[in-house]
Amino acid sequence: MNLFLLYLLLFKAVVTSFSGMASLPVVRNDFVVTRHILTDRQLNTAIAAGRTGPGPNGLYLVSVGYFAAGLPGALAGLIALVTPAFLIIPLMHWIGAYANLPRIRGAIRAVILGSAGLLLAASIPLARDAATGPLAAVIFVASFVVLSFTRIETWWVMLGAAVAGLGVKLLG
Amino acid sequence: MPAPTLRKLTGVFLRVGNTTFGGGLPTMAALQRELVEEKKWLTMEDYALAFSLARVTPGTNVIAFCAATGARIMGWSGALAATLAETGPSAALAVLMTQGYETWRSNAWVMAGVAGTIAAVAGMMWASIWYMVRPHLTGFKSAVRSLAITLGAFAAIWKFGLSPLSVIGLAAVVGLLWKEPPGEAES
Repeated sequence: MNLFLLYLLLFKAVVTSFSGMASLPVVRNDFVVTRHILTDRQLNTAIAAGRTGPGPNGLYLVSVGYFAAGLPGALAGLIALVTPAFLIIPLMHWIGAYANLPRIRGAIRAVILGSAGLLLAASIPLARDAATGPLAAVIFVASFVVLSFTRIETWWVMLGAAVAGLGVKLLG
Repeated sequence: MPAPTLRKLTGVFLRVGNTTFGGGLPTMAALQRELVEEKKWLTMEDYALAFSLARVTPGTNVIAFCAATGARIMGWSGALAATLAETGPSAALAVLMTQGYETWRSNAWVMAGVAGTIAAVAGMMWASIWYMVRPHLTGFKSAVRSLAITLGAFAAIWKFGLSPLSVIGLAAVVGLLWKEPPGEAES
């Protein structure tokens, strides 16, 4: 895949979102639905790989880039992930004061809420792909509850889920 | 208080950014301890400005936060060093994890473990949605507005097939026109 196009697609997803995972609907639309570069399973794997280690939530884009074009693709993903962050420097100088205006703040919060709705829509096909049996359903609900309502780190949840998957295979 | 150098600055972001699990907020809290309280390279006002602007900068909040604090301490070179130190090693680890998932795809035992983690990812995504919506459920009117925008965005893409970018644009317009209820918008 053309690296510059890959960068542009990932950059578009990052620059139109306001949190790490909020770029997912745009990524899925471009890479899975429209261009068929990745499958839902690969996208799920990219998210798992990006969230298993430390670092920011958006790291799954590096894995998406890797799936699309190997190590150069991963580098394109990393550059796309960090490029919009530098917008904050002129923001700090010029429009920091406006960010607290009620209307602007309301619009930004609405974009975050809209992104949550988009994430919900994108999560349904991925959840279907992940739902391979009763154990998967239990892990799905348990990880949602643990990550939403406790302070246990994502890494432990992933490890617990992997151990549960191995345990069920061991038992038969 | 030791004066900041590019090497020391990079060291702080390398250490904190790549050893703190759990996403952006724990990392930003750890950086506050390092940069404001211990090393005193930043004032609390600088930290608060970077923290709030990171939330309105496109992309991942914590990366924007690193760029802002790095720039506040050492200009553009500080921003670049902080951003790359925060993301570089974690990105390399993400690639290794992806390679691991791919290499071991034919191993039934490994795939049993991977199937478990993939189910956990689906749950994690719903936890992310809850994390994004929860701070806006601060009162009845605020909850109605927040859920209407969230579910409206969901319906716009799920039922009506709008593109994600169109939905984000529409959400911004709705947010401009539909004012947040007074006293309930201080999340």
